[in-house]
Amino acid sequence: MAVTKLVGARVTRVEDPRFLCGQARYVEGIQLPGMLHIAYVRSAHAHARILAVDAKQAEALPGVHRVFTGADIASLGPMGQPFRADVFPHPVFKQCVWPCLATGKVRYVGEPIAAVLADTRYIAEDAAELVEVQYDPLPAVIDPEAALLPGAALLHEEFGDNVVMKVSGGGGDADAALRGAALVVRDRFRTNRHCAMPMEGRATLAAPGPDGDLTLWTSTQTPHLVRSRVAAIMGFPEQKLRVVGPDVGGGFGLKCHVFAEEVLACFFAREVGRPVKWIEDRREHFLGSFHAKDLVVDCEMGFDADGTLLGMRADIIGDLGAYSADPWPSPFEALQLAAALPGPYRVRHYAYDVRCVCTNKTTLSVYRGVGLPAAVLVQEQLMDVAARKLGLDPAEIRRRNLIAPSEFPYDSITGLHYDSSSSSDALEKGLAAIDYDGFRARQRAAREQGRLLGIGICTYIEMTTFGTHYWAPLGIEHSAYESATVRFDAQGGVTLSVGTFSHGQGHHTTYAQMLADELGIAIEDVRFEQGDTSATAYGWGTWGSRSVVAGGGAVVGAARKVRDKMMRIASHVLEVAPEDLEIAPGKIVVKGAPQRSLAVREIARIAVYSSWRLPPGEDPGLEATQYYDPPPVTFANATHIAEVEIDPGTGRVEIPRYLVVEDCGVMINPRIVEAQVVGGIAQGLGNALYEHHLYDENGQLLTTSLMDYLVPTAADVPDVRVEHIETPTPLTVNGVKGMGEGGSIGAPAAVLNAVADALAPFGASVRELPLHPERVWRLIHESGSDTRA
Amino acid sequence: MKPPAFDYVCARSLDEAIDALGRRPGEAKILAGGQSLTPMLNFRLAHPGMLVDINRIPGIDAIRDDDGGVRIGTLARHRAIEVSDSIRKKFPILTAAAAHVGHLAIRNRGTFGGSIAHADPAAEWPMLALLLDAQIEAKGPQGARTIPAREFFTTFLTTALGDAEILTEVKLPALPAKTGWGFEELSRRPGDFALAAVAAIVTLDGKTIKDARISMGGVGGTPLRAPGAEALLRGKPADAALFEQAGKKAAEESDPSNDVHATADYRRHLVSVLTRRALTSAAEKAAQG
Ligand SMILES: Cc1cc2nc3c(=O)[nH]c(=O)nc-3n(C[C@H](O)[C@H](O)[C@H](O)COP(=O)(O)OP(=O)(O)OC[C@H]3O[C@@H](n4cnc5c(N)ncnc54)[C@H](O)[C@@H]3O)c2cc1C
Repeated sequence: MAVTKLVGARVTRVEDPRFLCGQARYVEGIQLPGMLHIAYVRSAHAHARILAVDAKQAEALPGVHRVFTGADIASLGPMGQPFRADVFPHPVFKQCVWPCLATGKVRYVGEPIAAVLADTRYIAEDAAELVEVQYDPLPAVIDPEAALLPGAALLHEEFGDNVVMKVSGGGGDADAALRGAALVVRDRFRTNRHCAMPMEGRATLAAPGPDGDLTLWTSTQTPHLVRSRVAAIMGFPEQKLRVVGPDVGGGFGLKCHVFAEEVLACFFAREVGRPVKWIEDRREHFLGSFHAKDLVVDCEMGFDADGTLLGMRADIIGDLGAYSADPWPSPFEALQLAAALPGPYRVRHYAYDVRCVCTNKTTLSVYRGVGLPAAVLVQEQLMDVAARKLGLDPAEIRRRNLIAPSEFPYDSITGLHYDSSSSSDALEKGLAAIDYDGFRARQRAAREQGRLLGIGICTYIEMTTFGTHYWAPLGIEHSAYESATVRFDAQGGVTLSVGTFSHGQGHHTTYAQMLADELGIAIEDVRFEQGDTSATAYGWGTWGSRSVVAGGGAVVGAARKVRDKMMRIASHVLEVAPEDLEIAPGKIVVKGAPQRSLAVREIARIAVYSSWRLPPGEDPGLEATQYYDPPPVTFANATHIAEVEIDPGTGRVEIPRYLVVEDCGVMINPRIVEAQVVGGIAQGLGNALYEHHLYDENGQLLTTSLMDYLVPTAADVPDVRVEHIETPTPLTVNGVKGMGEGGSIGAPAAVLNAVADALAPFGASVRELPLHPERVWRLIHESGSDTRA
Repeated sequence: MKPPAFDYVCARSLDEAIDALGRRPGEAKILAGGQSLTPMLNFRLAHPGMLVDINRIPGIDAIRDDDGGVRIGTLARHRAIEVSDSIRKKFPILTAAAAHVGHLAIRNRGTFGGSIAHADPAAEWPMLALLLDAQIEAKGPQGARTIPAREFFTTFLTTALGDAEILTEVKLPALPAKTGWGFEELSRRPGDFALAAVAAIVTLDGKTIKDARISMGGVGGTPLRAPGAEALLRGKPADAALFEQAGKKAAEESDPSNDVHATADYRRHLVSVLTRRALTSAAEKAAQG
């Protein structure tokens, strides 16, 4: 139908100038008259009773307006949205009580205890140092396995233990399959604790308005959800709360939560009758934002003698830190890991046990890739181990086990409906593109000179989109549909307002490409609106690689409603049946007689401005809203191949080559797809090589600056070559699948496998990240053999 | 992460700065490039009552030739050293090391004197000052004095400078002919402080090592020389086995500790590898030169 075809084009992002020229508007940039600044007093102890909080000295400091403590916020409900009890009843899942400001007890270093409101942040911080908190320290439990032991200190005494979730699942008969296997490989993997580390940390500004209204500007991925949850926790009428997400400098899943600081900002603004602002600083981000990925996975996989995977079993311990996040219960990381572990392989026998425990550490929750980076790491490394033991090449063992193209749609053993995938094609394309056989020859030659080269393959299938009906059976109370409104003005310009929330993904551009094809307009005709709950219909924001499917589906749906009306108007004016009309750039033309046409601008003018020209019975206006609930899941897939060289003298890992073959279905904009892939890989390399939160035995976080917690910079990311396969899914409006998280899912496994491959001659078993120089050096050194540099 | 309140003085001359420092002894701090001091202020690790800004004092940023060596003014930015022709000619080891000092943005602001006065044991300039037997010049209420680098770095982040003393200039004496250099550093990412770094210079007489100097960064409370390894090298023919031995000796002479990035054991191992590599590269250059 569409003639212009901007979908699929490498359009330059229209939102870039605002970001590159410093015109973006973040919460920090919003200044309101009379605004006060918040500094939080955060717990210095991992586990302690709070005996007293004395704010007298702080309140006496000139410029301090007020200090709030736990006692002042008793009217606020606790944070945390539990799983639905019909799905995970107590004690399968135990919902802990999480007050916005600690009362009675603190459970991690960094937990907010009091808030100082002052004229400037400087004064607020000076005063925060003067707030005296008397603690009675309690034994802290830091290690998730220690948390399971009888006699371990209890975080939430009412539970009787530290296990807040315990579930098992799978299918087939894993025990029998493993018993009958010619080879069983097993290992224990421990994933490094992370945090999301967006350039812009969290940020809130709440302002009271007339008529008892409140506006909250917040650095979020999900404004409507924040509005509903904050209103609920405050017991405040939702219609009086407006939430605005302005420009947001990165979220990575962290900002799809609702935070106590958001609730508190609204509460304080009402209490003091003035705008109040809180900008999270980097130290607070380390201590007080959520962490991610602290998992212990024991996994075994059984193979027959020719390398066919027969069955697998996993025992997963998820360390949740102190509380369970809102509104996504923290066990999700571990649950997703369990569901994803069989991956793109034919697995008919699988059993898993998941236990999630609380420890005296920062609360953990979802982060880009949610459970999949760890699942893929475990599965792909064990695949390689099995290949080595069976004398197969890693590529070959994958060939033998990948679900074949002819087998799709395929229902996984964990109940996932893989609608379509190109896993085998992606693998073969990747092997050819990187000249895999040539590499093996180079590797052999290099080994003779004492150089350590390695290659790592990682093949995965990735859950994306996550509609309402993905979550409902998992006991999530809220939904995950989307909405979009397309509205023409009298000049023929279009305002598109959406419920998703672009915070780096370039939605203005991709949605405008879709709209342009549907409506015959130009990308520049589209004004883009998101993030303001007063200006957009209810939607669930951007996370889980969902927007192009969920938001895009709503955009196309709304556009098609509008297009039908445009056709009716054109049909009336041109006196031609609607079936004989089609969209061309800027106009609607008569099929076969393109000289007979009506400009889109003219149609808009008729509908919006000169409605007396409308066909009889047609309502004025040219606008439509579409709500759309996407499929429960769509599956993207990819193969990552990393080549590494290791300095045997120091253990330093270099990545000279990195290749991705990805398939996210129909691409709207390959340039944006590639940028998302590369950005994800940068984060995945952080996981693989750098990022690791360390606690001491007392629960003090040791990594609270960017000198201690290292993230990759532009200089540390290798050139990444991205190749595409486009396998459309029948499940979505235009064959698109979700994308965005993928790079971060594949990179840790690809790099780990490459390092393990390089170190194979030493018999080293590689199962912990990050692969910092010392760890790699020890893997070489402690394996007994020696190589000279 | 907001600094506590402090008074601020913008000095227009060294005397004005010394005077200001003298008025608040122990309480005032010099602000040079601010690339170490401002983070410490923001973390509230430093609570100076007053900052004396020396950035507007004219003439203290010059890099000048001096008697075959060079004199580097305290306010010379890391980047100025990196791109200086005169330094590239006389002390190419500095040019090479400059690339390891943080990132470009940091090198554009951070100063040579600031780095030496800050005395981070893992920083490049202090260990090179020690290697090159720099003469560090300071001026205070009692007048000017020269402190040899070996006496300058006393303990962790502490120097021989008095409270009201300003480091004004650093003199790097000329190197003998037939001298080559090697600089080896391992950091987690380019631009990070070193897990361990080793700088070496080797002077040859034919195939024999006439003199060798080794300095180590990131493996002690201060930058360290490796006198035992240096002695072991002197007078012997340059060869791989000797460098290996010297590396082991230097490792023994290092005094590293554990932190979140690496253990002491691993750092000690790095010293031996990096020393061997630095000596190899220094001897090769000396042979060519
Ligand atoms: C992200 C980052 C990475 C970095 N990486 C590295 C690295 O890899 N290697 C490295 O060497 N450095 C690194 N640095 C530090 C940087 O080189 C600093 O510039 C340097 O250590 C201090 O110099 P400055 O001019 O910035 O001094 P300032 O920060 O202004 O001062 C530092 C200290 O020295 C004192 N001081 C300054 N000048 C004088 C003087 N003339 N007389 C007496 N006292 C004085 C100050 O009072 C203060 O105590 C890094 C910094 C950052 C922010």
